[in-house]
Amino acid sequence: MQYFMQLLISGLAIGAIYGLIAMGFAVIYKSTGLVNFAQGEMTMITAYIAWTISTTVSGNVFVVALGAILAAVVLGLIIERVVMRPMLGEPVFATVMVTIGLAVILRSSINFIWDAYPHGLDVGFGRSIVRIGPIGVRTGQIAVIVTLLVLLAVIWAFFRYSKIGVAMRAVAADDRTALLMGISATRVHALAWAASSVIAGIGGVFFALSYDLSPAMFQLGLKAFPATILGGLDAVLGSGLGGLLIGITENLAGGYIGSGMKEVAGFAMIIVVLMVRPFGIFGERDIERV
Amino acid sequence: MRTGDFKQTYGELVTLVDSPPVWLWSALLVAGLIVAPFVLNSYVLSFLIIILITVVGALGLNILTGYTGLISLGHVGFLVTGAYAYAILVSKYQMHPLVGFLGAGLVPALASLIVGAPSLRLKGLYLAITTLAFSFIINTVILEARWLTNGARGISVQRPEIFGISFDSDAAFTYLCLGFAVLTLFATLNIRRSRVGRAFVAIRDNDTAARVMGINLHAYKLFAFVTSAFITGLAGALYGIYLSFVSVEGFPFLLSIEALAILIVGGLGSALGAVLGTILIVLLPEATRLVFSLFSAQIDAVFTTGAQELKSMLYGLVIILFLRFQPRGLVGAWHDLRRMWVNWPLRY
Amino acid sequence: MIKYLATASLLLAGAYLSTTPALAADPGITDTEIVIGDVEPLTGPPALLGVAASIGHKIAIAEANAAGGINGRKIKYVLEDDGYVTARTIQGVKKVTDVDKAFALLGISGSGQSIAVMPLLEKAGIPTVIDVAPVKFLWEPPRKNVFVVGQSYEEGIIHLVNYLAEKNPGKKWGLITQDDDYGITVRDGFDTVVKARKLNVVYSGNYKKGQQDFSSDMLQLKESGAEVFLAGGIIGENIAMMKELEKLSIKPVVGIFWPGRVEPVLKLMGPAGDGIYAVDYVEPFAGAAGKAFLEKAKGLLPEAEMKGINRYSMTGYAAAKVLIAAIERCGKQPTWACTIAELEKTKNVETGIMAPISFGAGVRFSNQKLQIMQSEFSTLSFKPVN
Repeated sequence: MQYFMQLLISGLAIGAIYGLIAMGFAVIYKSTGLVNFAQGEMTMITAYIAWTISTTVSGNVFVVALGAILAAVVLGLIIERVVMRPMLGEPVFATVMVTIGLAVILRSSINFIWDAYPHGLDVGFGRSIVRIGPIGVRTGQIAVIVTLLVLLAVIWAFFRYSKIGVAMRAVAADDRTALLMGISATRVHALAWAASSVIAGIGGVFFALSYDLSPAMFQLGLKAFPATILGGLDAVLGSGLGGLLIGITENLAGGYIGSGMKEVAGFAMIIVVLMVRPFGIFGERDIERV
Repeated sequence: MRTGDFKQTYGELVTLVDSPPVWLWSALLVAGLIVAPFVLNSYVLSFLIIILITVVGALGLNILTGYTGLISLGHVGFLVTGAYAYAILVSKYQMHPLVGFLGAGLVPALASLIVGAPSLRLKGLYLAITTLAFSFIINTVILEARWLTNGARGISVQRPEIFGISFDSDAAFTYLCLGFAVLTLFATLNIRRSRVGRAFVAIRDNDTAARVMGINLHAYKLFAFVTSAFITGLAGALYGIYLSFVSVEGFPFLLSIEALAILIVGGLGSALGAVLGTILIVLLPEATRLVFSLFSAQIDAVFTTGAQELKSMLYGLVIILFLRFQPRGLVGAWHDLRRMWVNWPLRY
Repeated sequence: MIKYLATASLLLAGAYLSTTPALAADPGITDTEIVIGDVEPLTGPPALLGVAASIGHKIAIAEANAAGGINGRKIKYVLEDDGYVTARTIQGVKKVTDVDKAFALLGISGSGQSIAVMPLLEKAGIPTVIDVAPVKFLWEPPRKNVFVVGQSYEEGIIHLVNYLAEKNPGKKWGLITQDDDYGITVRDGFDTVVKARKLNVVYSGNYKKGQQDFSSDMLQLKESGAEVFLAGGIIGENIAMMKELEKLSIKPVVGIFWPGRVEPVLKLMGPAGDGIYAVDYVEPFAGAAGKAFLEKAKGLLPEAEMKGINRYSMTGYAAAKVLIAAIERCGKQPTWACTIAELEKTKNVETGIMAPISFGAGVRFSNQKLQIMQSEFSTLSFKPVN
């Protein structure tokens, strides 16, 4: 039981990170209909900026958190304005391809601006180990799980009650009608990119806190994308939960079947789920009408 | 140069080549490629080889993504199965290279049947994820099946000798790749103009309408998937021979993305696009390197260790700018150019 | 018609431009210059190793050039990036040999990459000294023109495991390796000792390259009760493992391998990384030899390159030293044949950072002497153990 609990908790902790990044994917898909292949890279950049703040400005956890969120917003807005907005109205394939080009640039900027060595993010928090009975957890891991849950609630409320949230849903559902209703699609897109960048960036900063920063960190995007598919590409909350599910599955498979099975287990589960629910667990069923 | 003409019969619409000059130009191109190994040094030749191999793979993916509109994020999985099938048959069991190539096509085709049969009822990106999963799972399978694949150690592959002709030299190997590329090009062009190809395009353009017209969606999608895997597997075998060493390491996930990039940059849904896209994507790093080396003295003075990354950044930037100004890809650019040439000095 | 002519002439011009001038008689050597080529991963995560190795080469070359070059000829160093992609390594080697006309090669990238370019090197016959990833395939069977400075991964692991087994008799063992050729070699070396000494192995894990979360693997290690643990990760993996062990509050005796023995790792492992055993054939930077090496580098490198130095700079430096010495011994008109013959005659060449290097007739592998080191958290350094 203790073994199981330990696996479960580590699974939740890494799953929460996947979940945050997966939500980043879903936010953009929901409001722009695009898959952002640079999501992992954006996450990495935010984490590296957070690290730079912690080493140059101040190691205070609030300063770093605030700085990272601001940086993520700016990053999202710049990318939307400079790279994505000119592609508005172009074929979806070409636009998605642009995010791949963007990913190349962001990935390279790590070695260009920083270096290839691993770095630890030290904000005086998150490293210490809490023992719940015989189970050891790092405070950062607890924090990321809590953060994910809080964000899930906030985002649910945002889409349900706030005016902008309803506008975003409207643009996603039917952008032309939304436009006629006086909703500015570009503003919604800008907001989506900023929000996605922040949500995923939080995941990245937590990853840096519990593990370390390295130029290979962009691969998190590759782990989170399946989580989005599992939860449903258009389901922001579902993607968050999809991340948790993948994290747990991976760890249980690694703990009970064998370490080589870790990576495969997540994918195997996705295939099985998609056979039963082709639109993801929480995705909206696409009804065909003739 | 022609830019448009009027078709009067249905037959004219589906001819392989609709005017004699195209034959002439194609023949000239092939002749040029045959002469190329004699005049190019082995460095330039290696680009030609890579282009020819990549063309085979890109045309394979084009059947699936370009014609049928199905996205695969895991085509590198078929590439690696093809390479391993060839390496195991030829290097391990000393079979004839032609048997190796046949196996390199059939084994991925079989794999695609297994992956495709249940997952083709998925649409869009949901299909993409099952192929992505396949490419990861197949790597694990290869690494685990040590008795067959040597696991992580990989298998060394020699350049083949077919019917007494040795393809050991770079020039000879170029011809082998050229043969495969030309055959694949003809095959895909012919598929496109056949009944099957029209069904593919119908599914891509509007699957509901296609179904109403009596096209068996599942069967045709599966057919596209299997054909695509077969051709990609052949490209995998050639790539393995070129690398002279087949291992999971040599086939990174990035190749899947690069294959899609080739199709999109070239212009989705056309064989010409696949070829042009391949040339651009293969030569782009070299082009950026050249630009880079022009300024390298100045760049080295300003930045040191990280400077190499500027090259990759330039690569990404070129892709973005290209799509920004020519979202229909190189084929679109070619059509525009043709129109401009004919109408000049008028605008239209 | 004019249009056709214009297109045709454009095509012709293109064809003309793409052809290259005829081959020179003696590649890579002029009256004033000798070209040495190299292909390394300079971009992406593996740049950690590629940049460091190239810096090592640069130090040796700058040192030789500062002393007047090789018998009056300055060395020109041509470095290509392969991004750790095998196909690009092949392109890179073709470029430095065919376009830049290198006289000799150093490097070359990772183990899979050097294996893949081996047929090419053999065919070209160019003198080559490999230093980055010494694996057996590169010198068995010996190739006439390819020399390897270093020690095999397998021997390294055997040395380390033997040492740990002697220090910790009768203990339970655990091992985790990466699922690639590097991991297999580590595992082979480990298995050799396990068989010879009949070690009790209670955990044997295998992780996928790029894995970042090791919680379940380390939990299994804990459950197995292993007391001696061989961490077969490279850099980030080993850090993640040590942190997990700390979280699970177990502290087995840990051994790591030289690809992960770079100093910044210790800082990231924190106190959990104190007392880790490592094996290597180059001197640690904390020792006198290491300090002298850094001192020398400072005079020859731009300031910004200094932070790229790690153990791979030492191996690169040593290989470049050996190559330069061999070319030098060829006198006024060095040729490939002479360089290869002189490389073969390399006998006890001192580099200051590893045991003297020797090759011999039919011996293409320098078989460096290994030493065990232990990490010290308080100084963030590795110290030799004796």
